[in-house]
Amino acid sequence: MTLSNLDRRHFLRLGGALSLLGGAAPFALQLAASGAASAAGASDYKAIVCIFLVGGNDGSNTVLATDDDSWGRYFAARNTGVDPIALMPVGTAPTPAGQVSPITNSLVLANTPPTWGGVLPIVPNVAQPIPLGTNASVRTFALHPFMGPVQSLFNRQRLAIVANVGPLTQPITKSQFLAGGVPVPRNLFSHNDQQSTWQSGAIEGARVGWGGAMADKVIGANGVNTEFTTIAPYNSSLFLTGLSVDPYVVNVGVLPAIVTSPNYDYDVVRDTTSTSDLANDYGAVVSQSINSAGKLNNAVSQGAAATIPAPPKYVSPGGAVSQVNALAVQLQTVARIIAAAPQLGIGRQVFFVTLERFDTHAGQNATQPDLLGQLAQALDYFDATLTNIGGADLSALVTTFTASEFGRTFTSNGSGTDHAWGSHHFVMGGAVKGGNIYGQYPTLGVDQLGFDNPDMAGNVLIPTTALDQYGATLGAWFGVGSSDLATIFPNLANFDSDNLGFV
Amino acid sequence: MGVDSVDPDDTMRRLTAALVIAGLSAAPLLTLSFGVNRLGGGQAAATQQVTSQGAARFLTQATFGPTDSSISNVQSAGYAAWIDQQESMPVSDTHLAFMQRRLAALQAINPSALNTSADFYDSFWLQAATAPDQLRQRVKLALSEIFVISFSGQILDPKGVASYYDMLGANAFGNYRTLLEQVTLHPMMGSYLTYISSTKENPTTGQNPDENFAREIQQLMSIGLYRLNQDGSNEIDSSGGSIPTYSDADIKGLSKVFTGFGWFSSHTTGYGSPLYFYGIHKDPNAYVTPMSTYPAMHSTSEKSFLGTTISASTTPDPIGDLKIALDTIFNQRNVGPFIGKQLIQKLVTSNPSPAYIARVAGVFNNDGTGVRGNLGAVVRAILMDPEARDDTAVSNPTFGKLREPVVRLGNWMRAFNATSDSGWWLVGSTSALVSFDQSPLTAPSVFNFWRPGYSPPNTTMGRLNLVAPEFQTVNVISVASYLNAIRLAVNGGAGAKSTTSGAPDVHSVYVNEMAIASDAGALADRINRLALYGQMSASLRTRIITAVNQIKVPGPPATTALVDKALRSRVVTAVYLAFGSPEYMAQR
Repeated sequence: MTLSNLDRRHFLRLGGALSLLGGAAPFALQLAASGAASAAGASDYKAIVCIFLVGGNDGSNTVLATDDDSWGRYFAARNTGVDPIALMPVGTAPTPAGQVSPITNSLVLANTPPTWGGVLPIVPNVAQPIPLGTNASVRTFALHPFMGPVQSLFNRQRLAIVANVGPLTQPITKSQFLAGGVPVPRNLFSHNDQQSTWQSGAIEGARVGWGGAMADKVIGANGVNTEFTTIAPYNSSLFLTGLSVDPYVVNVGVLPAIVTSPNYDYDVVRDTTSTSDLANDYGAVVSQSINSAGKLNNAVSQGAAATIPAPPKYVSPGGAVSQVNALAVQLQTVARIIAAAPQLGIGRQVFFVTLERFDTHAGQNATQPDLLGQLAQALDYFDATLTNIGGADLSALVTTFTASEFGRTFTSNGSGTDHAWGSHHFVMGGAVKGGNIYGQYPTLGVDQLGFDNPDMAGNVLIPTTALDQYGATLGAWFGVGSSDLATIFPNLANFDSDNLGFV
Repeated sequence: MGVDSVDPDDTMRRLTAALVIAGLSAAPLLTLSFGVNRLGGGQAAATQQVTSQGAARFLTQATFGPTDSSISNVQSAGYAAWIDQQESMPVSDTHLAFMQRRLAALQAINPSALNTSADFYDSFWLQAATAPDQLRQRVKLALSEIFVISFSGQILDPKGVASYYDMLGANAFGNYRTLLEQVTLHPMMGSYLTYISSTKENPTTGQNPDENFAREIQQLMSIGLYRLNQDGSNEIDSSGGSIPTYSDADIKGLSKVFTGFGWFSSHTTGYGSPLYFYGIHKDPNAYVTPMSTYPAMHSTSEKSFLGTTISASTTPDPIGDLKIALDTIFNQRNVGPFIGKQLIQKLVTSNPSPAYIARVAGVFNNDGTGVRGNLGAVVRAILMDPEARDDTAVSNPTFGKLREPVVRLGNWMRAFNATSDSGWWLVGSTSALVSFDQSPLTAPSVFNFWRPGYSPPNTTMGRLNLVAPEFQTVNVISVASYLNAIRLAVNGGAGAKSTTSGAPDVHSVYVNEMAIASDAGALADRINRLALYGQMSASLRTRIITAVNQIKVPGPPATTALVDKALRSRVVTAVYLAFGSPEYMAQR
């Protein structure tokens, strides 16, 4: 295929040859090599961390517009069904289960919005423009009541919000969308296709993600240990796959790499001389695993990487629930690898972590709040951790952002929400120009009684900020040149700005 | 041994087994002259005389793995008659019955004990390893990866999941239309895809029916996203683009059909019925009984989908609407190639030729007697197809599929007659990334463990634009974990006797392998026959023999125990190396 791919294969063969020297030799060689490279790497490091909210997060219950006009239509649409999902207004005190809510005038059940109290207000540094269809003199905003740590990060300028972002081919109005004819991304509303689209710009079957494509451009900063350029816990990801870069998968909570028993013949398990292509492809992965595991485990077992604190357990703001924060433990591993980057001589990395179960068709009240709570506490933990990596503040070198395959319907189906399009996302880091909402927060509400919302088709938010703009802004910060960004984000030229300015 | 099915010629079977143990399995053509040649459905003539390698390869596709007895059964019956026997064999046992027996045993110790997902996994392994209806077992697993429900990410009742898996098995050779209806009405699918308790729309608030199942039944369980030719390729419109099978409007229309289905109850109307509809009150059998219809919750407005329109009505008719909806889906031209190709991928090869897909789709469309959707005929067509039965495919670089992790573990259990000390097959979860990274009915989402169109990037298969679905979970962690996990199983066994005892419950004593382990070549050949259908490469065979020969069997005056220890060490070394070899991963 490409030259870069041939290079990779050559590198793998080289790695194999080194390990043939025996157990001790590669270890010594590796220390010398990484020591030489670390001087170059340590002075210049940047990482991007994608937090993918798997299933499609309901952005409408994550970042809310609270001016009277917006709130009224929000509340009417969501205070319905057997298990209403409308959150309570700013300043509402929690109503214990069994009492009557002063907002809904109904008996309050456990795990429902009245028990959580009101949404948490935030004030952007720059006032949001008032979109067509919204009657307000000032637009006001808030976060889900479980997102206290994010409110704090926003207020401390550590975190920004990007409103109504989604995959777009070109700008599109409601009437254009309803009429058809103006191109839109394929297979909107489909989980797998939109997961793929958010990660790569194309539906399922795409082979190169934009995290991997950006990594392809900066891999020269990574010395000899290029296999650790893009990293994901648990499983590989399209986002991290480039033309030459392959994601390196790591374990969580213990040493990130797993080593096979050395008691048996490695030449059998990593064989690539079969007459089966599939067998040889498999053997190549085993070979990489054997070659890289010790190197990574060794690097994260020393210095600052060995002292990254474990995240606290997640404690639900809604009750006594205490559990492992499934996202934060991944971010701990990410922090360890970031801390080990100088040891490995690595200058640029892209990470991909996930939080699952956002597909809240039913029982949204029982699921989404604690997911948002885990997200909030994990972001807070990660930011605090990065400010103290062995005494150094690396937080300006790491930019973290959220992604999700789609937002969800603005209306309720009785206890949850269905697949939709645009949604609101978070960007965090020391380099982020926080405390602001970037992009246009849309007018809310479904069309009825003469109201015609220019920003929604039915119960779906039409994005006004493109995924390509979101990604390109991150890429520019990461050090990818504008011509490369134009290649990685082919729709970028269709939009008036290729940098949203949040970092 | 010997539990697979009734053998017509016991003498020949024992003779065959004796030959195998004598190390003759690598002989190129161990043929039997009386293989029954019964081919159905107008198939081209297949092999008349079944070799032991051919039988083992066939069983690798059709079961959880070959055994001495199943190889000789296939050789004596022939492929077609063996399929006949298997498809007419009654369901061996139900998982639900296992769950109930297990619960009784647990409650005898702790009266408040409940069934857990581990009990279901144990039942799965008992049947996968020992059930005589092996073809049903394997097809059942394949169906569970198309009609996906999962313990992961949702709290599903373990008995309910057992009953769902039973339902898939009961329909494995039945009609797809029946299967689709029983899937749709099963409360575990209703729970997993959240349409249980979905209510009709509310025009005042804009409240809409739950759209989850309306989307996924089309995208994943019947027709897929694009209109297909019968050979599985996409139909192309005048501008060269693929043609969507459905739109968002079709989903919204269909979502109204799936309203008013609630938990099983006799209280489906009147005061109090919402408590049963939503499952706040539950019938004790609600998890294992088809959902009930609650007319007051069912949409009566017009429902349009896939070119069919159900007119608005003043009388709710959930069952009538469901019949129209499922008939409409069932009769889409896409179903044959869409379902047929996936079943081929799960049993035989990731990249079937268009002609192979078309032959299987043709049988789905008409089994030869005018019946559409006969899954027994589809399974037979898949396994009897010339492309599946062409034994020269074993040297085709791109034929075959990656064996999925639970099938690898099943292969080991069956090949070496693994038994359970407790009798309960306490394997438990194998989901962890540091275990086999897969448990049955525990996929990360309704999109299964892997997608049928997944093409691994930066690999040879990917560069050839070929798919390798199971490769989606192959990474530097999972490959190392698998080697560690299978080594543990091979050495000491799988699972644990109890939460307090880590001692494995399921293990092999390798009687037949120990008997020949002093001869490294014979040992390699026997493992070759059981794990690699006689196609082990010369280099792997040499490496295994070399490794085995490094373990010396002590001569006199060594005790029997010392000799056995060495022989066992030889066996587990050889078995591990075979099961750890990349060529084993690729089933061809």
